[in-house]
Amino acid sequence: MLKKYFKIWLLMTTCVSQIAFLSRFGAVLFIIGKFLRFGFFLLFLIILETQTKGIEGYNLWQVIFFFATFNLIDTLPQLFFREVYRFRSYVVSGQFDFFLTKPLSPLFRSLLGGSDILDLSMIFIAVGFIALSATRLEGITGLSIISYLLLIANALVIAMALHILVISVGVLTTEVDNTIMLYRDITQMGRIPVDVYREPLSFLITFVIPVGVMATFPAKALMGLLTLQFMMISFLISGILLAASLAFWKFSLKNYSSIST
Amino acid sequence: MPTSKKLLEKSSNLKMNKYFQVAKNTWDETVSYRLNFVMWRIRVVLQIITLYFLWLSILPKDTTFLGYNQSLMLTYILGTSLLAAFVLSSRSYSVGDEINQGNLSNFLIKPINYFLYHFARDVGDKSMNIVFSIFELTILFLLLRPPIFIQTDPFFLFLFLISAILALLLYFFFNFLLGLVGFWSPEVWAPRFIFFIVITFFAGGLFPLDILPKSVFTVFQLLPFPYLLYFPLKIYLGQLPLFEIFKGLTVSFIWLILMYLLVKFIWNVGLKLYTAQGR
Repeated sequence: MLKKYFKIWLLMTTCVSQIAFLSRFGAVLFIIGKFLRFGFFLLFLIILETQTKGIEGYNLWQVIFFFATFNLIDTLPQLFFREVYRFRSYVVSGQFDFFLTKPLSPLFRSLLGGSDILDLSMIFIAVGFIALSATRLEGITGLSIISYLLLIANALVIAMALHILVISVGVLTTEVDNTIMLYRDITQMGRIPVDVYREPLSFLITFVIPVGVMATFPAKALMGLLTLQFMMISFLISGILLAASLAFWKFSLKNYSSIST
Repeated sequence: MPTSKKLLEKSSNLKMNKYFQVAKNTWDETVSYRLNFVMWRIRVVLQIITLYFLWLSILPKDTTFLGYNQSLMLTYILGTSLLAAFVLSSRSYSVGDEINQGNLSNFLIKPINYFLYHFARDVGDKSMNIVFSIFELTILFLLLRPPIFIQTDPFFLFLFLISAILALLLYFFFNFLLGLVGFWSPEVWAPRFIFFIVITFFAGGLFPLDILPKSVFTVFQLLPFPYLLYFPLKIYLGQLPLFEIFKGLTVSFIWLILMYLLVKFIWNVGLKLYTAQGR
């Protein structure tokens, strides 16, 4: 079963990648643009850190580590769930009906039907900066590395749940594009540690819209700044979100009117 | 019998009315897609909040950062958000697609100026964005009570307005130029993606550009980008001496003329290549 799904994913990703490289000029420009965006914000953070007393008491390498971790968590879902960005056209054109009639999970098809290979470049950059800044951090232990990796995986589960919510809204209303960009903008708040934001915003983006759990908690765990209690809460949040998003997906399918066909 | 003067006046009024209708239609079009528009505005507010809290954390009360106290910095951040709604909102991004899909032909055979048509669409879009930005910033102001700086000198306010209008025109021609890529390539979105990233940083939307190292900032001043957001806001804050203001306005004006001439030239060359492919 898993092997079959992996083969399908590989096939669809290959097709999508061929389309992406149809215009090499465009592909190169998009990759350059992503590098520039990363570089400009990094430069901004460096200016802030070197010319002020620092962001919430974190030193430069800690801030870079937060930012690089955010980029990894932000880019991985874009790489794997790029199909969500194309989902609206499937619903509006009626192609979504074909997803439902094939012997393949429509959720799998809607989420993973073609990963974006252009995002791989950003993954390498993010991982490079994570490794570089981690060597400058103090107090890293084997346990903190395991916690970091577990919380990264947890962040991806949350990201998946939120993507499922987005396509479920798409099935019900045909609105996808702005919802997914809204998700992106909310997660952008995690480019800096969420401690920066004042209450009640800090609480909201940590636990209600769990940007903090996704982007800040993993980095904090590696630095030894996260208690076991908060780690457990993180896993609980992702579990609840995933269950809720799957239930909402089923609800949206039951109410799908197939109006476009 | 109407005199020739009256006929001329009537024709001129009709022309203006035509572009006014385009602007009005753009407004109506935005209102038609309410959910899209609301989502877009929520995104804008989130971006403002992110930057606002970042600077609030970095600059506590009674501290200064390279010549900016908390009040000036927060005014700069909220001010650039409002100004961006005026300068950077645009509908002329569709130029590239219209060329690629052959829809440009529809405009070429109509008694309409394609530049003015898109400028009118921009005006419709900008007016909608400004109204909502003022509304949102008022709510944010009431909720957050930021210690903002209010410029009361009419002279600075007048110069701020002049620089903002120059910025608006400059951005229009930039945007239009990017659309003209469509004459040569179907890939019109990738250059725009890079342009948008460059603008975010170089126009001063993230931070005031004069906090950069002096040598870097001096080079930046020769580019057109700082005159989109940074320069008008610095005039508003009253942080520039008169000489610097007039120097900046002159550089901005020169860039505007250059961009206008470049767009005209590229447009004429592109039209000769245009094959109405896609129709």
